[in-house]
Amino acid sequence: MTRFLVRRLALAALVVVGVVILTFVVARVVPGDPASTWAGPRARPEQVEAARRDLGLDRPLPVQIAKYVGGVATGDWGLSLRTRRPVLEDIAQRAPASIELVTAAMLLALAVGIPLGLVAARWRGRSPDVLSRLVSVVGVSMPSFWLAIVLQLVFFQWLNLLPVAGSYDPDLDYTSPLRSVTNMPILDALLTGNWTVFTSALTHVILPAVVIAAYPAGVITRMVRASVLDTIGEDHIRMVRALGFPERSVFTRFALRHAWSPVVALLALVFAYALVNTFLVEAIFNRPGLGSYAASAIGALDTPAIVGVTLFVALVYVLGNLVVDVVQAMIDPRIRVA
Amino acid sequence: MRSVGLRVAIVAAAFALVAAACTGSEGGPGATDGDGNGDTDTGTTAGPSAFTYSVNSEVMIGTDPATGYSNEVIALHNVYETLTRYNAETTEVEPLLAESWETSEDGLTWTFTLREGVTFHTGAPLTAEAAKAAIERTTELGEAASYIWGAVKKIDTPDERTLVFQLSYPSPLDLVSSGTYSAYIYDTEAAGGQDLAEWFAEGNDAGSGPYTIAEFNPGEEIELRLEAYPDYWGGWDGEHYERYVFRVTPEANTAAQLLRAGEVTLVQRMSPQLWSSFEGQDGFETSAASSWQTLLALLNTADGPLADERVRDAVALGIDYQGIIAALEGAAEPLSGVVPPGLWGHTDGLEYQQNQAEAGALLGEAGFGPDGERLTLELTYLKGDADEELVATLMKSNLEELNIDLQVQGLQWQTQWDKAKSGNEAERQDILVFYWWPDYPDPVSWFYSLFRTEKDPFFNLSYYSNEELDAMIDEASVVAATDRDEATRMYEQMQQIVAEDAPAIPLYTQVYQRAMLDEVEGFQDNPAYPNVVFGYELTPTG
Repeated sequence: MTRFLVRRLALAALVVVGVVILTFVVARVVPGDPASTWAGPRARPEQVEAARRDLGLDRPLPVQIAKYVGGVATGDWGLSLRTRRPVLEDIAQRAPASIELVTAAMLLALAVGIPLGLVAARWRGRSPDVLSRLVSVVGVSMPSFWLAIVLQLVFFQWLNLLPVAGSYDPDLDYTSPLRSVTNMPILDALLTGNWTVFTSALTHVILPAVVIAAYPAGVITRMVRASVLDTIGEDHIRMVRALGFPERSVFTRFALRHAWSPVVALLALVFAYALVNTFLVEAIFNRPGLGSYAASAIGALDTPAIVGVTLFVALVYVLGNLVVDVVQAMIDPRIRVA
Repeated sequence: MRSVGLRVAIVAAAFALVAAACTGSEGGPGATDGDGNGDTDTGTTAGPSAFTYSVNSEVMIGTDPATGYSNEVIALHNVYETLTRYNAETTEVEPLLAESWETSEDGLTWTFTLREGVTFHTGAPLTAEAAKAAIERTTELGEAASYIWGAVKKIDTPDERTLVFQLSYPSPLDLVSSGTYSAYIYDTEAAGGQDLAEWFAEGNDAGSGPYTIAEFNPGEEIELRLEAYPDYWGGWDGEHYERYVFRVTPEANTAAQLLRAGEVTLVQRMSPQLWSSFEGQDGFETSAASSWQTLLALLNTADGPLADERVRDAVALGIDYQGIIAALEGAAEPLSGVVPPGLWGHTDGLEYQQNQAEAGALLGEAGFGPDGERLTLELTYLKGDADEELVATLMKSNLEELNIDLQVQGLQWQTQWDKAKSGNEAERQDILVFYWWPDYPDPVSWFYSLFRTEKDPFFNLSYYSNEELDAMIDEASVVAATDRDEATRMYEQMQQIVAEDAPAIPLYTQVYQRAMLDEVEGFQDNPAYPNVVFGYELTPTG
């Protein structure tokens, strides 16, 4: 197990370094001069030159990359050209809000996807299966910004049930100010016992979470259905059936347990995908987070911030997959050998 | 298993992209009740009245009044004040922190008398020494638009309220001191022992304006909360907004929804379609005002086919200006000359009109045109700017009728600029489309930067050189310091020269389209301070 872990970790580190180098090179090759961005649109040539020296952009590219990779390892992700704050600080400030949103969406996706997948598998080929397929195909193929606007129209403008934007009612900052602990508003409200903000934040998270959950819910439904159907034909399930367990237990207690492994693997992937998907959704719902940060960074050609966000998402990807691999290896010894 | 997930993800992303390309961004106005959104909105609660400004992008790009050169001006002009303020209605400079000012005959000495009883938010009084220290810090840091103080050789402070500027060459200091950037007066002692720039970055302010920063949340939706400064010299008698909130709303659709719900008071910018859905609506008001953001097409006068003045004139006559304005649905106005309305020196009657027949004849003389050789021209514009893209496309189809193949290229600004400044003249574009606006209310900005001879191109991207005009530019900036009327006449003449030589085609000036709740009274855009809403001047009536 230790050898497996070491091998996996080394591989993960290699992937991250590769991503850093690749993004760094791409960001430098793309037209645009970070020094001019830093100095401002109307800077005189000597101001731009000074910025180039200060930012170390006058050195050869390999030196810059080496310096950057070295910096990343020691927690120095460079300075954002736009906010002029350390990129890592910026990300640390904004990522929690995005992670909270994605987590809420993933919970929602699981809560919908698992039962739907089970139902589809249980009544395979019959109308519940068809319905579940329809729902998941729509969920997967619906463009998120379009779904977002439709939901805003229906639940805010027509039904007046849910708020249109923001992470909680801004007026509450005057009446019951929220103390920031983790930068995740729902969690912070819970931790500090601020129930007014908690309720408000919860109603505000519903629509964006539904939009982000649409894709993972669809994929999870299909995956649960497929892997349950795979297991259902196996010998041990036949034995469980022969022993006279009711169909419901056969599916939920026995088949689902064995169907978990691929679903968990999928989760890690879908989590990172959903994190990138928040980029658009955060902008539409006016929520702070990594998405709006990345969007402004791209707009301003803020290369250190773009590389930083890419690196962060890559880290989430790699870490997620690492955790899944380890968990799977613990569940299933066959993977360790392979 | 994993590759299946990935494939699904890629397909989904492709779907999203295709749909994004097909669907317009506009959501139907639908049913508007305008009375708030029920359970989640506490609306206007009892207590101090709040003005909520819905802005398109992050406000506090910079936090230091000396170095801010971006969107933060929309907040800083409510927190800090300048010595004077430009009034675009009257095209006159008005007192603000300075009560009065005068200049010597040679325009080399300017004396400003400061208002009495002004204090900074730090509690310190505004003195001539303090004002001097602020201007000196700004110029020493040398960032943003600090060059506007370039003529100042020395600042004397004979007494607490008198500020005397000694200049090394005549400069209209009353205009400079009402500048959009780098003209704020602030308390340089505010941070005590701490580094002042750092102290600003923490969300502190040292201004004398009506509002002070109460809360600064970088990256958040409610990025900034301002609060009335109780000791403001203007006083708080009568109805005023006592709180001023900046709410960052990048999506125009969302901003429109928030306004309908009464959750924001005024929206900075939405699409013309969305904006017009508020026109004449009960409970809302709209305003449209022309800005100083002028869109120009700079023509390459040095090299290539446009070096021939006849071809330049033909291009200018070939463009359907009315068509461009119509396509922008009210977000733009025709521009006469390069100096926009509201700025002194603006001249009427210089608009180009489309005239295909004359354009064809001019091209024919030069050997091109419908009956001559096909002419290929390259145009660059800012990639991602939807308005510029539209203009480029319309120009392409207009010029096609004259047998001109206009090859349009959207580029990032840096790339566009580098190409234009290239040492290799063959690499430069024929037509460069970009926005120009001044750093302080003086038409010299267009002439000095765009049309004065430059050895190595910087912003003169027409590569235009006219000795007569050069001399007039230098003279006009001196005359502006002493005789504004004479300077105005000179700028009229200079614009006529530009219209004749056609190094640049003024395409249009942007129009600010604001929508707001009708509880707001007294709102008016001042193009000298782009997108700034002076909260103190508004009256809440709700």
